[in-house]
Amino acid sequence: MKKLTVLFSLMFFVCVANATEDQITFKSEQQKSTYLELTAELRCPKCQNQNIADSNAVVAKDMRVKVKALLDEGQDKEQVIQYMINRYGQFAHYQPPLNVATSLLWLMPIGFILFAVVLQVKRSKSKNDVNVSETGAVQLDSGQLDRELELLLESNTLDGSSVDNSSKDNKQ
Amino acid sequence: MTTKKFNFRLVPLILFVLLLAVLLKGLFSDPRERDSALIGKAFPQFQLPDLYDDSKQHTEKTLLNEAVLINVWGTWCITCKYELPYLAKLANEYDVKIVGLYYDQNYAPEFGQFADIPAIRVEVKDMLARLGNPYQYNILDLDRSLSLNLGVTGAPETFLVDANGIIRMHHMGDVNERIWREKLAPIWNEINQ
Repeated sequence: MKKLTVLFSLMFFVCVANATEDQITFKSEQQKSTYLELTAELRCPKCQNQNIADSNAVVAKDMRVKVKALLDEGQDKEQVIQYMINRYGQFAHYQPPLNVATSLLWLMPIGFILFAVVLQVKRSKSKNDVNVSETGAVQLDSGQLDRELELLLESNTLDGSSVDNSSKDNKQ
Repeated sequence: MTTKKFNFRLVPLILFVLLLAVLLKGLFSDPRERDSALIGKAFPQFQLPDLYDDSKQHTEKTLLNEAVLINVWGTWCITCKYELPYLAKLANEYDVKIVGLYYDQNYAPEFGQFADIPAIRVEVKDMLARLGNPYQYNILDLDRSLSLNLGVTGAPETFLVDANGIIRMHHMGDVNERIWREKLAPIWNEINQ
């Protein structure tokens, strides 16, 4: 148990040690929030799916330092994003713009919703059709059922007599 | 009537086939393969020292007048070791002008990390003596500022720059015979005609 607590406390120690790696002094709260937004929105070009805030790759570190330097120069968020896109391409930004290549990405969800609506409308219509035909079928069936019932009753009485006969046979 | 009606039972099958096509394509695609933002642009301005001699400065102008391959590398980079012999072959047998951009990954003064340049020089000399030296000279990009301007994500990466200083190709990963033939040689031959 003691070993376990030591292990857990070590784990927390490691977490704390990692969290204090980047020590940056910001000029203002405004700059800090812009920096945090940018490092979350910019994508590490070396890693497959991490923003530069999350990544420990050398290039991500360099990009973080550059973001801070550009903000210190007085550039705004859009300018910093454009700076990175000019070097690393659209890949480096997590918000793809609407153009021919990305139109599928933006239009497909709308397409899916429209498709689902059309599907639902068609389905409810065809369901109503089925209901109408079913009730018709039931009405037809009720006439048939009556006849069948009569036939059944007739055969039953015959069967009954035959059963009576057989029982008599058994007794004999 | 029934033939005209769209069979909705096929929808999951169609979606499945489409998904299969997308995933199959993903299986055989290289996620690192993407168009660089720098192709067709001028090589960025820089002023950086030579790897072996601090007093010697290189600028983007030293690259002009001749087509050149700029190879981003470092002794710490494993893949670079595998591409060095092939680059040396290109330089020696095909007269391809290759300039090294030495990418050090330790130097980070913001985090109190500095590079040991004399040690790097020893390592570089040792490695080039062992595996072959393709470089006419090496530019030391200690703070990786030029690398950032070039959109370098790591090493090795190779740029093909024409005589006017325009970047014609940016390849991420090692240069081998296949890459040279398919990706770099066509442009190299075109601009050297």
